[in-house]
Amino acid sequence: MHQVKPTMPPSRLLLERRFPLEMGVTLPEIRDLYDSGKAGRWNPHRDIDWAALMPAQYDAPVRQAARRTWSRRLWIEATGLTETPALLMRFCMEAGREIDPKFYLTVRNTEEAWHVECLDRIAEAFGGRIAAPADKVYEGAFNRNLHRRVMNAEQSLDSYVTCFAAFEDGLELELCRTWRDHATNPTIAAVLDRVIADKERHAAFGWLYVTSRAPQWTAQHRALVAEELTANIRETELKGYHCPWLAPEHAAAEAQADVLTASAGLGGAPRVAEEDTIVRYTGNARRRLAELGVTLPMFESNRMRTF
Amino acid sequence: MALSREMSEQQAFEVVQTLLDAPESRFPLTFNSDLPRIRELFHTATRNQWDPKTDVDWDQLKPDAYTEEQRNAARLYWSRRAWSEYGAISESPSLQLRFGLENRPSDMQLFFTIRSQEEARHAEVCHAMAERLGGYIEKPVQSLFEGSVSTHGVRRATLNADVPLEGIIAALVCTAEEIAFDVFKHLDDVTRDPVARQIVRFIMRDESRHCAFGWYFLEAICETLTPGQKKMIEDSVITMVEKVELNGYHSSWLAPENPASNAEVEADRITYEAGLGSTIEEAEKPIFITTLQRIRNQMQPLGINLPPFFHPKLGTI
Repeated sequence: MHQVKPTMPPSRLLLERRFPLEMGVTLPEIRDLYDSGKAGRWNPHRDIDWAALMPAQYDAPVRQAARRTWSRRLWIEATGLTETPALLMRFCMEAGREIDPKFYLTVRNTEEAWHVECLDRIAEAFGGRIAAPADKVYEGAFNRNLHRRVMNAEQSLDSYVTCFAAFEDGLELELCRTWRDHATNPTIAAVLDRVIADKERHAAFGWLYVTSRAPQWTAQHRALVAEELTANIRETELKGYHCPWLAPEHAAAEAQADVLTASAGLGGAPRVAEEDTIVRYTGNARRRLAELGVTLPMFESNRMRTF
Repeated sequence: MALSREMSEQQAFEVVQTLLDAPESRFPLTFNSDLPRIRELFHTATRNQWDPKTDVDWDQLKPDAYTEEQRNAARLYWSRRAWSEYGAISESPSLQLRFGLENRPSDMQLFFTIRSQEEARHAEVCHAMAERLGGYIEKPVQSLFEGSVSTHGVRRATLNADVPLEGIIAALVCTAEEIAFDVFKHLDDVTRDPVARQIVRFIMRDESRHCAFGWYFLEAICETLTPGQKKMIEDSVITMVEKVELNGYHSSWLAPENPASNAEVEADRITYEAGLGSTIEEAEKPIFITTLQRIRNQMQPLGINLPPFFHPKLGTI
């Protein structure tokens, strides 16, 4: 039997009060996302032309780079396999939360599983999934304990959704679009098209949900959201979670791999394109957040221009 | 509604050490298929998705063909089914979380993503049926019955590092879900309304995979367990049978006798007689007994030995 030892301080967990159990639609736009997710269901094995991937047409350094790039994307996508069930449970445990996000999150999680299968298959085709970052320190960027964080009663659920379902999923969507713009391999392009279609709903969910909640936030709540989102951007994005070139001290191997993957049309993008995406997206997000009464500061890094 | 830093005053919480309090360690990350039969279940589920909104022939449901008493009973029955399915949305994701934290074969995590979605579809379709029959009911008519339908403690057990996962799956999946599945097979035989029957079949199709998951896991893991560990599994199954199933979680006639459970039993009888999807004690009793005996027989070769169970309405099984 497996043994996992809890060594961190005990968490505060909400005690669920199940009844009355509302199941009617209260957030119709999010119910629409759930319905369109069901309608847009796809099958990674049937709906992607895997024969067109043809990894043998690329030389060995490119194949090696592609397996590292897609392995790293897999490390990111795997987050959903523990985070989404935790987020779903938190919605269920907190009194008064609507049924629509709960239904929706079950679909999101299946889509994340399909993405995992696709990304894994790509990494395997290019020589085999790489099980961990080249530098152990870089592992910290991925081991974020998000499942613990969202289940903790002291964590504001609205703030969590703003950070991770709205901002972070939105950025992931835009980066996927950027990679798609530079992808020439037909199989990679097809996978990214499917992933983008799903992630459009993932990001829409986050923004729709917080937009529905924000009118009830106090000034204190808005400051909390801003504080947590700012910390997350500094601790996650600027530590190279999505873009390893932002953390060359620990993610040099991954950053170099991305350069080759991008130049071969295998689903990456030049660094300048990713930087433009981060700057443009964060600017747009800042404006959307301002409409919700949340002030996001500017971010400075010696790896990229102020954004 | 306040954010949660203020919410503790409004909603109870507990401070408890759980598996959540283990530092995340996802590397080395593998997605090899160590339990290929479970990976295949995931793929089968991917191929067999359905949508309550578009795949059920709702036009065939004629609520006016039933009396008001029948509609009222049936809406309570389908509401109760929705509560039961919701329990899996609210609690079973903790199992998926645990698979990840314990670095169990990735097949289990992948399958559970779609399993939760299926539970959502079940809750959605049961809610929709109740709505069409006069309106979904948000809570048990009598609060006494809440104890039988609100929770069976899956989340709490799953997050407890001292409760072995093997016992939870044996109890929750190989026992509770197995019983539910056999009752569904029986409902398919006795339900006459075409829409109610269609719903039963859609749910039953998914549930067959849910049950298979449990047995595939148990069969794979039991070879590696010590007699002491198998005894822990036995204890989990015994608790599930005695405290949950024989307390009326799935079958209201098994709940302790009180005005609330009597009302539920009566609603079930009316729904059953109308052919709208429920069953009654006399019809279900032999199913329940046979299922429990089959579970015992199926666990025995795995080294899990279940004792006789007693319930005043069933005798000793």
